[in-house]
Amino acid sequence: MVSHARQRNRDLNSGQSGTRGDPDTMIEFQNASRNYGTKIAVEELTLNIPAGEVFALLGHNGAGKTTTIKMLVGLLLPNSGQISVGGHNIATRARDTAASIGYIPDQPYLYEKLSGREFLTFVAEMYGMDPDQTAQGIAREIERFELQEFIDELTERYSHGMKQRTVFASAMLHNPRVLVIDEPLVGLDPHSIRLVKDLLRSEATAGTCVFMSTHTLVVAEEIADRIGIMQRGKLIFDGTICELRHQLDGPGQSLEALYLSLVGNSTDLTSAALHRSS
Amino acid sequence: MSHLPATVSLAPVPADARVGNPLPTEDREAQIMWRLRNRISIAQLRHLFATARLRTTVVICLSLLFWLGLFGLFFEGFEFVVKHVGEAGAAHHARTVSFVFHLFFASLNVMLVFSSGIILYSGLYSSPDTRYLLTIPIRSERIVLYKFQEAVFFSSWGFFLLASPMMVAYGIVVGAPWHYFALLLPLIVAFVYIPCGLGALGCLWIVHKIPKLRKVIVGVASIMLIALTGKYIWNTISVPQSSLFGAEWFQETIDRFAFTRGALLPSTWLTGGLLEAARGPSLGLESGNWPDMPAVKSCLYLSVLISNALLLHLLIIWGAKRWFRIGFSRYECRQTRRRTAQIALVDKLVTLVLSPFSSQIRLLLVKDWRLLRRDPVQWSQFLIFFGLLGLYLLNVDRFSNPNNNLSYVTWVHMVSFLNLAVVGLILSTFTTRFIYPMISLEGHCFWILGLLPVRRDTIIWSKFLFAAIGSWIPCSALILLSDVLLCVSPLAIGLHQLTCVLLCFGLASIAVGLGAMMPNFSERSPSKIAAGFGGTLNLVLSAIYIVVTVVLTALPSHFFLVAATSPFHNSLLLPELLRFWLFSGIGLAILIAALTTILPLRWGLQAFRRLEFC
Repeated sequence: MVSHARQRNRDLNSGQSGTRGDPDTMIEFQNASRNYGTKIAVEELTLNIPAGEVFALLGHNGAGKTTTIKMLVGLLLPNSGQISVGGHNIATRARDTAASIGYIPDQPYLYEKLSGREFLTFVAEMYGMDPDQTAQGIAREIERFELQEFIDELTERYSHGMKQRTVFASAMLHNPRVLVIDEPLVGLDPHSIRLVKDLLRSEATAGTCVFMSTHTLVVAEEIADRIGIMQRGKLIFDGTICELRHQLDGPGQSLEALYLSLVGNSTDLTSAALHRSS
Repeated sequence: MSHLPATVSLAPVPADARVGNPLPTEDREAQIMWRLRNRISIAQLRHLFATARLRTTVVICLSLLFWLGLFGLFFEGFEFVVKHVGEAGAAHHARTVSFVFHLFFASLNVMLVFSSGIILYSGLYSSPDTRYLLTIPIRSERIVLYKFQEAVFFSSWGFFLLASPMMVAYGIVVGAPWHYFALLLPLIVAFVYIPCGLGALGCLWIVHKIPKLRKVIVGVASIMLIALTGKYIWNTISVPQSSLFGAEWFQETIDRFAFTRGALLPSTWLTGGLLEAARGPSLGLESGNWPDMPAVKSCLYLSVLISNALLLHLLIIWGAKRWFRIGFSRYECRQTRRRTAQIALVDKLVTLVLSPFSSQIRLLLVKDWRLLRRDPVQWSQFLIFFGLLGLYLLNVDRFSNPNNNLSYVTWVHMVSFLNLAVVGLILSTFTTRFIYPMISLEGHCFWILGLLPVRRDTIIWSKFLFAAIGSWIPCSALILLSDVLLCVSPLAIGLHQLTCVLLCFGLASIAVGLGAMMPNFSERSPSKIAAGFGGTLNLVLSAIYIVVTVVLTALPSHFFLVAATSPFHNSLLLPELLRFWLFSGIGLAILIAALTTILPLRWGLQAFRRLEFC
C-alpha cells in the first residue's frame, strides 16, 4: 500500500490526479453539509483523500475550512451527507475514527495542571497503548519535537510554540493513519516549521493521510500533493497545483497568484459581505 | 538523539505496518480519567498552597467559622425545641423537626437540580476541555460522567456546609445513637446524587432538544413557568401581618408547605432516614420485630436513596450515549445573533449624566460602562448581586408594624443597620469581583490607552469614579427602599444615606488602589484575578472598613434614637451626652472614610505611574 501511495504522490505531483473512491481512500466526504442556523458553512462537500497524500484545504476566513475539519474529527456532525475515516462513519463510530486520527487544532489545548509528560501519558493510555509502547512513544516524540527542556514542567508555563509542539507530539504518539491539522505552522519558530514540514512529507511518504487547512500558501505549494479551495462553503477547486495552473491558464504562476485569481481578493469579498449584510 | 532508547526510531512507521491497539475497556477508561483528575487536583492543591497561602488559609478559617456559627445556631434552635416543644420521640417534637428538615432539604433539593444542571452545562458545552476530549477515542458517556462528577462536587459543597452542622447539632441535642452519625455521610451523598442527576439529565435533554423546538414555544413555556413559580412563592410567603407568628399562622405555614413532605421526594426519604436513625436503638427490639427497629428503617430509607441514585446514574449514561454528541454539535452550530455595536439610548444618557466631568474622564467612563453593558457575564452577576439584595429588602416590610413598643423599635433599628451592613458586604464582593480586576484587565490593551494623550492619573480617577458612582446609585436606592419599608425616622434615613456614601467611596478607593498596586497582567479572567492574593486582601480590608463604619454610625444613633426612650439609664447614656456620642461617631466615621478613600487612591496613583507594561 505504501509503495502504491508513493506512486500516487508521484502521479499527483506530475499533475495526474488519481481516481476517486478507490480502496486506499482514508477520508471520504459524501455530500456533507453543515449549517449554523440559517447560515450554510459547508455545502454538499464531496471529497476523497487517499492514504499517503498531503491534502491542503485553502480558503478565505469563513470559507468553511474549520467547519470541515471539525466535522472530520467528530466535533460537529453533518446535517446531511456522510463522512468516513478509514472506512468508519464518524457519526456512528466516533470512537473508532478518533482512534485512527491525530488532530492538531489551531489553538492547542493542554491540561494546564499536568506536565507535558503526564499529558502525553494520558493520551497514550487513552489510545490503548501499553506501558512499553507509551514509554517508547513518548521518548520518540520528545526527541522528535525537542521537548526535553520543558517536558516535566506544568504546561501552564509553556509558550504558544511549546504548546503547539507538545500537541504535535501527542497527535503523533499513536502513529495515526490520518493526520488532521488546522493551521500547522502558527506560533512555530523557523526551525520547528522546517521540522513540521519534513515530518508531514515523510509521514505521507510512509502512507499517512495528511489533511491540513492553511492560509500559508507557500507551505501548501511546497508540501501538498493536492489542494482544495473553498469559497462560501463550497469546494470550488479540487486537484493538483498543475491542474489549477492548467485550469486558469497560468503556467509558472505561484499558488498565491492562482488562488487570488480564482477566489478574488479579500477586499472584494468584504465589500460583497458588507453589501449583503446591509 | 541521546535521550532515545536504542530500540526507538524517528523514522515513520509504514502505514500498513501500524497495528491499532485495542482501545481501553470501560473500567480502564474510568481508571485513566480518575488518574487524570487526581493528578490535576494534586497539582492544583500544590499550586494553591504555594502561591495563595493567605487566601487558602482565610477561606478555610472563614468556612470553619461559618460551620461553627451554623452549628451553634442549630444547636441552640434544637435545644429550644427539646425544652419548649418536647423531647425526642414526643409528637410535637417530631412534627416540628420534621417540618424543618423537610423544608430545608426540599429547598436544597431544588437548588441542587438547577446548580448541577448549570454547572454541567458550562462544563460540557463551553469548555475547551470537552472540545479536546471529543477528538480522542473516549466514550461520550465517560466525558459526561467526568464532568458530572465535577458538577456534583461544585454544586453540593454548599449543601454539605449548610446541612452537616444542622445534622450533627440535632444528633448531639437528642442524644442520637452512634449509627445516626455513621449514616450521615451515606445519606447525604446518596441524596445529593439524585437532584444532581436530575439536573444533569435535564441539561443533556434540553441542549439536545432545544435547537429543534420553536422559540415561541420555549419562550411562552418559560414565561408561564416563571409566572406560576412566582405566584406560588407569593402565595406561600404572603401572610396577613396581624397573624404573623401566631398559632394560626404557624398551622397555616405548616399546611402551606405540605408539598415539601411528598412521599416521592428524595428530601422526604432523607428526612425519614435521619429522624429514624436519631431515635433510640432499643425501640422495636422489645417486640422482637426487627423491621420496626429505627436503625433498620433508616437503612431502608438509605437503600431507597441509593437505588434511586444508581438508577439516575444509569439514566445519565443512557442519555449521554444518545444525546451528548448530537447535542454538542447542535450547540456549536446554533444560530448566533450578529451583534452590531450601536450607540444605545442608555449610552447617551450616561454621557449626559457624566457631562460635568472632563472629556477624557467622560470618555474613559463611557468606555468602561459599554464594556460592562456588552458583557452579559459581567452584568448578569451584577444583577444577581443586587437582585437578591432587593428581594431580601422587599421582605423587610414584615417588620413594619404600627405597634410602637420599645422592643419593636429596637428591632427595626437594628435591622435597618443590618441591612446597611449587608449592602456594604455585598458591595465589597462587587468591588472585589468587578472593580479590583479592572486595572489588571486594562494591561492587555494598555497600548491603546498608552498611545493616547491621556495621563495615567486620569485612568485611575476614571476607574474610581466609575466604581464609586456606579455602586452608590443602586446601594443608595436599596437602602432608601429598606428604610421606607421599615418606616424608620428621617434622621436614621439621612444617617444611612451618609453611611452609604462613605462606604461606596471608601470601598471603590480600596478596590481601585489595590488593583493598581497589585496588578496581574498575565491573567485574562476577572474572576481569577479577584481570587488572587490582592483580591482576597481587598475583600478582607473592605469587610473591616464596613464593620468599623457601620458600628461607628449605628451604635451612637441607636443610643440616640432608641436607648434614650428606655427606662434603663446609665451615666454614659445621659440625654445630654447622647448628641455628643452621635456627632462623635459620625465625625470619626467621616474621618476614617476620608483616610480610606484618599490613601489607597494616592498609593494606587503612585504605583500606576511607576508601572511598566510589556
